[in-house]
Amino acid sequence: MGEVTDRIVFVFTLTLAAVYFYATAQIHTYEFGDPLGPKTFPRLLGIGLLVTAAMLFVEMWRARKAQSGKEPQNPGSDRRHFFVVGAVVIWTAVYFALFTTTGYMLGTAVYLVALMWYFNAGKPVANVATAVLYSVISYLAFTKALGVALPRGFLPF
Amino acid sequence: MDTLTHIINGFSVCLQPINLWYTFLGVFMGTIIGILPGIGPAAGIALLIPVTYGMNPTSALIMMCGIYYGSKYGGSTTAILIRTPGEAASVMTTLDGYEMAKKGRAGAALAVSAIGSFIAGTIGVVALTLFALPLASLALKFGPAEYFCLMLFAMTAVSSLTGKSPAKGLLSTILGLMIATIGIDLQSGQPRYTMAVPEFQDGVGFVVAVVGLFAVAEVLRGLEDIYRGVSAPMVRISGKLWLTRDEWRRSIGPIWRGGIIGFIIGVLPGAGGTISSIMSYTTEKRLSKHPEEFGHGAIEGVAGPEAANNADTAGALVPLLSLGVPGGGSTAVLMGAFIMYGIQPGPLLFEKRPDLLWGLIDSMYIGNIMLLILNLPLIGLFVRLLYIPSGILYPLVVAISVIGAYAINGSPLDLYLILFFGVLGYLFEKADIPVAPLVLSLVLGGIMEQSFRQAMTISGADPAIFVKSGISITLLLLSLSSVVFPILLPKLKEWKKGAEEGA
Repeated sequence: MGEVTDRIVFVFTLTLAAVYFYATAQIHTYEFGDPLGPKTFPRLLGIGLLVTAAMLFVEMWRARKAQSGKEPQNPGSDRRHFFVVGAVVIWTAVYFALFTTTGYMLGTAVYLVALMWYFNAGKPVANVATAVLYSVISYLAFTKALGVALPRGFLPF
Repeated sequence: MDTLTHIINGFSVCLQPINLWYTFLGVFMGTIIGILPGIGPAAGIALLIPVTYGMNPTSALIMMCGIYYGSKYGGSTTAILIRTPGEAASVMTTLDGYEMAKKGRAGAALAVSAIGSFIAGTIGVVALTLFALPLASLALKFGPAEYFCLMLFAMTAVSSLTGKSPAKGLLSTILGLMIATIGIDLQSGQPRYTMAVPEFQDGVGFVVAVVGLFAVAEVLRGLEDIYRGVSAPMVRISGKLWLTRDEWRRSIGPIWRGGIIGFIIGVLPGAGGTISSIMSYTTEKRLSKHPEEFGHGAIEGVAGPEAANNADTAGALVPLLSLGVPGGGSTAVLMGAFIMYGIQPGPLLFEKRPDLLWGLIDSMYIGNIMLLILNLPLIGLFVRLLYIPSGILYPLVVAISVIGAYAINGSPLDLYLILFFGVLGYLFEKADIPVAPLVLSLVLGGIMEQSFRQAMTISGADPAIFVKSGISITLLLLSLSSVVFPILLPKLKEWKKGAEEGA
């Protein structure tokens, strides 16, 4: 799996360099100001990224040379954990998208209960109690005591 | 004896009841953050920045530093009892600490790490008190060119020393610098890379990046671990929380050596707590008459590394406070906190705010005493934290991060950003790319570009200005060697091995 990942990192680095060079070219410059202007430093960074890509390539090449002769690494057959992490990310994005609509208290409580239901399975009472208590107490503590503004949502309080 | 007066005045600042309270709060939270595996000092400090906004900066910074060095105490507890480093730098403690605990000497392991942490932590603060000012007076001579070279050195050292691959470290560094270029350019007023999002004109918030990279990413990793079902069984505290005479005799040497190693490594950019504890561990193993005991519950293997990673925190504060350039991820976050309060760490701080600076340093003496008390007689209370199921803990960390991120601007965009950086941090870990270089260069990026352009403005766009002074030449050579050294090291080893086999 290491080899595939390294290849992805390499391609990502090159793509990012290209995008960054393009975006740098879009910046407006005027005749006044400091001699370098807003583009020079980013250009240097872009060049640095190309150097990085070259270094990555050398490292990959060396790793492959060290690998040859040995048995090829067994690629990870079980990738199901990526789906679990992906589901957590999507669920978190949903929580954030509805954050101002549902308000902090309700949204957080629902978000927490669902995650705990899956990752701390078999203890529904403890999970619901923790989620609800945490949401209510943290909301009151931060909005009333510390003056942090959190969205109320459609709850009347 | 102006300095001595300042140092003594510092005590009058940190002994004020309000500041004692914040020292306590800081080290208390630090211990908890250190014990809980899901959240580290960097995320802890970053989450507190928005919440403590508007507080007296001295008190706030005393508290945040307390979290930073306090977390090293807590980290060892988790390492000893569940063989998981509660904090990255205590990874070496898992080797012998957990073995000691399995043999019924958990009490002794916890005691030696608390005592070792205290002695070495205090050695570190004494050394910090002694070395901070001389280094700061040197830094007063720095112009923009020298500052640029210094930051370059910090970044190259961090990128080539953290993680296994120098190329990936460099990738992380440049990514951080690129993120730092997002927003309105300070000199020309031009927006750069804002992608037509008005919020990006102020740049990508440093707090959201750190919270995402350290807290949210850790949650994703932790939840994955729960799904896969990997964790070591927890060992209960057994034996008295004290050392036998023989254990004392064996520990005192490693503690002193660890303290000195840790401080020196801490001052150097790039290395950080993990490397200092590894250095101490290998030193003790080499010095020991019974190296075969290491890995099977040798108390020296707990005492040395724990001492080293605590002295390291004080060492790491030297470049941050006296030069204004942090040498690693956690101190970069602390620098972010300083800047949020409108305080620029660095040599001028010694002249402008000696009260804040020495109050902060002196509070660390007191904080270490408090930590000794929290982590020895009261450790039983903190250990209960480890009984919180991680399936409850990790979701709560997200909820806490949400408050921290939303509190800065009240903008939902910041929430998406912590998720974005969380996923980025998770993928970085999968691809073996270190995160610390990104955080460091994100904090320093803006200042670095400004000093680069100022230097070039002074010289009329002649890059020779960077090789005009002895200081900048030295720093450039150091940067170069920190890049070349890790590449050459394996070759040297091969060559040496070949020579030995040939002989």
